[in-house]
Amino acid sequence: MTGQIAIIGAGPSGCFLAQALLKARPELRVDLIDRLPVPYGLVRYGVAADHQGTKAVTRQFARLFERQGARFFGNVGVGSEVTLDDLRGAYDAVVLAAGLSADRALGIPGGDLPGVHGAGKLTRALYEHPEAEALPKLGTHPLIVGNGNVAIDLLRLLAKSPEELDGSDLGAGPTEWLAGSGIEEITITGRSPAAAAKFDTVMIKELAKLTGVTIRVIGAGESDDPEAQKKLAALTALEGGDGPRRITFRFGMTPLAVEGTSGVEAVRFATDTGDETLPCTSVLTAIGFDTPGDLPRDALLKDETEGKLAAGLYATGWFRRGPRGTIPDNRADAKALADRILNDLAPDPDKPGATILQALDTLTDYDGWCRIDRAETANPPPGRCRAKITTREDMLTLARQEDMP
Amino acid sequence: MNIQVLYGTETGNAEMLAEDIAAELEADHEVTATNLSDFDPGEFDRGTLYLLVCSTYGDGELPASAQPFAEKMEAEAPDLTGVHFGIFGMGDSEYEETFNGGPATLAELMIARGATQLGERIAHDASGAEMAEDLAFPWAEEIVGMAGDALGQAA
Repeated sequence: MTGQIAIIGAGPSGCFLAQALLKARPELRVDLIDRLPVPYGLVRYGVAADHQGTKAVTRQFARLFERQGARFFGNVGVGSEVTLDDLRGAYDAVVLAAGLSADRALGIPGGDLPGVHGAGKLTRALYEHPEAEALPKLGTHPLIVGNGNVAIDLLRLLAKSPEELDGSDLGAGPTEWLAGSGIEEITITGRSPAAAAKFDTVMIKELAKLTGVTIRVIGAGESDDPEAQKKLAALTALEGGDGPRRITFRFGMTPLAVEGTSGVEAVRFATDTGDETLPCTSVLTAIGFDTPGDLPRDALLKDETEGKLAAGLYATGWFRRGPRGTIPDNRADAKALADRILNDLAPDPDKPGATILQALDTLTDYDGWCRIDRAETANPPPGRCRAKITTREDMLTLARQEDMP
Repeated sequence: MNIQVLYGTETGNAEMLAEDIAAELEADHEVTATNLSDFDPGEFDRGTLYLLVCSTYGDGELPASAQPFAEKMEAEAPDLTGVHFGIFGMGDSEYEETFNGGPATLAELMIARGATQLGERIAHDASGAEMAEDLAFPWAEEIVGMAGDALGQAA
């Protein structure tokens, strides 16, 4: 008996874990379960549409299903179609790799005014997640709170001209929305000084390629640290340009309140030199992510050590470590956890494994995803590498079209 | 011919390509694929052809798995005269300025210690239309051909 492992979430962390497990023990039964009929989670719906090079990691994941024997169980909600306890009863080990998809709230007065949008929510709408809300109106002057890589991704997308999105997989609707956004100015604010900003230098350098913008960097400050100096140099190098869209970087700004009566009008910040109010037409928060609440994360992680939560129950990726770290950081995590799981694994031949999933009539599989993938990539519009299927219904129809060539 | 494919990887893409290259060559050669993190510069052998596959990470830096190797190269300063290698880089032109910085650094490290580079340093672009292996397989065959003469063995 070789052992059966269920991984909840077929995003990058789950896929990297499956890869590490199957590399170490090719005979293992590794099943990836996702609530969507499509795999790859964050790579599909979080990685920016104009970062196709980053998305190339899915070629590794495809191999996982095509050559390494992993199986995909799509359209299965844990907590709805099956429970976590069902899975724990059926598998020798269960791993939570569901990520963190909810936006962390601002938690300040006015933080729930109309016109305040979380980066995750907006990103899902931009990248056509089937459960996304409609793209909102941002007005002429959105203000971004946060300066991690998620914030920079949003800034770049909002600042790009239509031609600069060539080669991406941004959908027709979002493309039209961006082209007609009417954005004149974007302010991006961070709590920390620029030297301690969370973005990666390379993300800042990428902004230097934008053609339609004029960039101002206010209060970047100085640093003795060589890494921070690189950051500051990249920021300073951005200044200038002659494009119509104005971008302003601000640092050392702690938001105190979103102001407005029926919608966003301004954000008041605490700064080293006293309060400052910046007018804006919408607020985009990119200050981290949280659990959407479908799994009781806090209770589950209560006794967590090095990814183990309880006998036969583990967690990896953002679900375990919080919303920090890039895709490769989570790969390293997954590799370490694979060793731990294999060390603990005591296969029970009486466990039914995937039998409990195969009984679900809602289920989709990897072949179904391949049919969706082919439909999306067969005939993309000019300047696009993919046209995503955007509704669950259409995904399911395609996924279930058996015997398609 | 003895061939060792050495890879420096961060996301696993270079690892996958290294394994694919090894699989492609193994019908005709003795080939292994080894992570640079598991390789000591003291192991370099003049009778072996080294095919280096390396990505770039962050701001043009070496990927995580190549960093311990780079540190050991600096610390041990081995004499690599007579060691032959080819190098294949993986990068992403979205990050224009630092595109393929990792493999460039790795090649410099090898050459600085006296090793001989065969062929050009190839750069695959993850944001381009071509598959890495479509560039890498012909590249590997070409380097192996050149190494046949250089190593004084039948290719």
